[in-house]
Amino acid sequence: MFNSVRQVIREQIEFRDLIFRMAKFENKGMYQVHYLGTFWQFLSPAIQVAIYWFVFSTIRGGAPVGETPFFLWLIIGLIPWFFISPSIIQGSNSVYQKIGLVSKMNFPVSVLPTIRIVSNSNQFFVMLGILIVIALSYGVKPSIYNIQFIYYLICLFAFLFAFSLLSSTIATLIRDYQTALQSVMRMLLYMSPVMWDTSLISRTFPVVGPLLENILRLNPLYYIIEGFRDSILGRAWFFEDMVYTGYFWLLTLCLLYFGAKIHMKFRKNFMDYL
Amino acid sequence: MKTKVKFTNVYKTFELHAKRSEKILNLFSLSSKKKKFKEFIALSDISFEVYEGESIGLVGLNGSGKSTLSNIIGGVIQATEGEIEINGETSIIAISAGLNGSLTGMENIELKCMMHGLSKEKIKEVTPDIIDFADIGGYINQPVKDYSSGMKSRLGFAISVHTDPDILIIDEALSVGDSTFAQKCLNKMNEFKKQGKTIFFVSHSAGQMKQFCDRVIWLDYGTLKEIGDSTTVVDNYQKFTNWFNKLSNDEKKAYKKEMLGKQYRYTDVIKKKEISNKKERTSQFIKNTLAILPVVAFTILLLLGY
Repeated sequence: MFNSVRQVIREQIEFRDLIFRMAKFENKGMYQVHYLGTFWQFLSPAIQVAIYWFVFSTIRGGAPVGETPFFLWLIIGLIPWFFISPSIIQGSNSVYQKIGLVSKMNFPVSVLPTIRIVSNSNQFFVMLGILIVIALSYGVKPSIYNIQFIYYLICLFAFLFAFSLLSSTIATLIRDYQTALQSVMRMLLYMSPVMWDTSLISRTFPVVGPLLENILRLNPLYYIIEGFRDSILGRAWFFEDMVYTGYFWLLTLCLLYFGAKIHMKFRKNFMDYL
Repeated sequence: MKTKVKFTNVYKTFELHAKRSEKILNLFSLSSKKKKFKEFIALSDISFEVYEGESIGLVGLNGSGKSTLSNIIGGVIQATEGEIEINGETSIIAISAGLNGSLTGMENIELKCMMHGLSKEKIKEVTPDIIDFADIGGYINQPVKDYSSGMKSRLGFAISVHTDPDILIIDEALSVGDSTFAQKCLNKMNEFKKQGKTIFFVSHSAGQMKQFCDRVIWLDYGTLKEIGDSTTVVDNYQKFTNWFNKLSNDEKKAYKKEMLGKQYRYTDVIKKKEISNKKERTSQFIKNTLAILPVVAFTILLLLGY
């Protein structure tokens, strides 16, 4: 039953060296013509964070979420989002973009989405550094809960890999999907607990609110983003909510299963569908 | 002698769809059972055998299926029907493909070798050879977007021949460079031939064909018209083109229309799809349900607030 999953994962492990080196070239190629070079990878998200800080920490304020100042709460969600959103969109597009080039050689197509994820992670890890500095400056004390940050990082990469594998095949076969995905991602920013605390719904609509909130929780990105907050702010352990953890992993495995299956089914014929 | 490439009754057809939606339905094998699809037969009943150390030329008018055939040998596209046996690594030499415009020549060498699966040490070893073969001087450290088209093809060709394939496919790659570079490439290919490598050579130049190829395949509107000794086939092909050129415009059009008409046919696509039998389909269905079911169960739990 899991033959294709096994093969796809085996390819990732076998070609890990290729993945990292290709990711390096992707970044190099993108910033080659820039005077500031790869410094932009740090600069552009830093500017965005600065804008959010300016708006939510000085001008508008924003009510604290629980006991957490709003800007700190926002930034813990926003920094993973700056990584997730482009990775999903570019990861989905990766096969379509590169297939003409790699089909002429003996190249493991399944590593193409992974290369995009890896090349985006550079920037993400720099931003995590900034996040730690911000958290410390807001007086967040290190706690034992911080350890599970690693667990949520694994969740994040597992989900991104499974989703972009499935997504990249669909986007190659049906181009409308890619355009639709971009709109959905833009919408998802407001459907995920990045910009606002979803418990607001339950408070505003006492009757249907809890159900609506549960529907929002079906979004696996909700699990990851709230998980990052749990681990940085020391709110809860991931195993305290086994149903949600079970849901997230089963969904990720299901995406991986179908992703690997249709990838293997169509990989030889990608060129025919361009 | 060892067989390198063997084609037995190979067909390649392209489905022509009136609407895009038909393509999607066909993708999920949902199209209505009665509907027939129009197909274009790009290659029809191709059979041949090629041995180690041979160089094979491919000639034919535009649209006769030369590129389709070389793409099938290179594994870029799959044949619709027939058996294909390929022993060894194939590499298609496509001149400008795979060069990243914003990277320098040097970086492109590393990137492309890497994509061909060469190890770090091997790349270091061949890089001086590639630079020497491409012979573009100081431009090697400039971004490829600043190259002239000749320089691009030189670099592309130099990289491709150094990736060490067993079976080489050269699809009109030599027509871009000047005659000195073409000669250099021909020398390199003769070297390959001596090493026992198999080479497929697509070109419109009769001279290069006769000089370089052992045997030639003449494709005519998707069918294999003739295969044999290069001088004989190339001469026959030239006779044909001369005959064709002498026709009046109307006769040319009529001839083309007649030949192209033979390449279309209507087939029942569903017939092909039914090969995957019912038993397999049920087991697939059960597996898929097994994969989805736990997720559905947990979704319900989550919605109920467990």
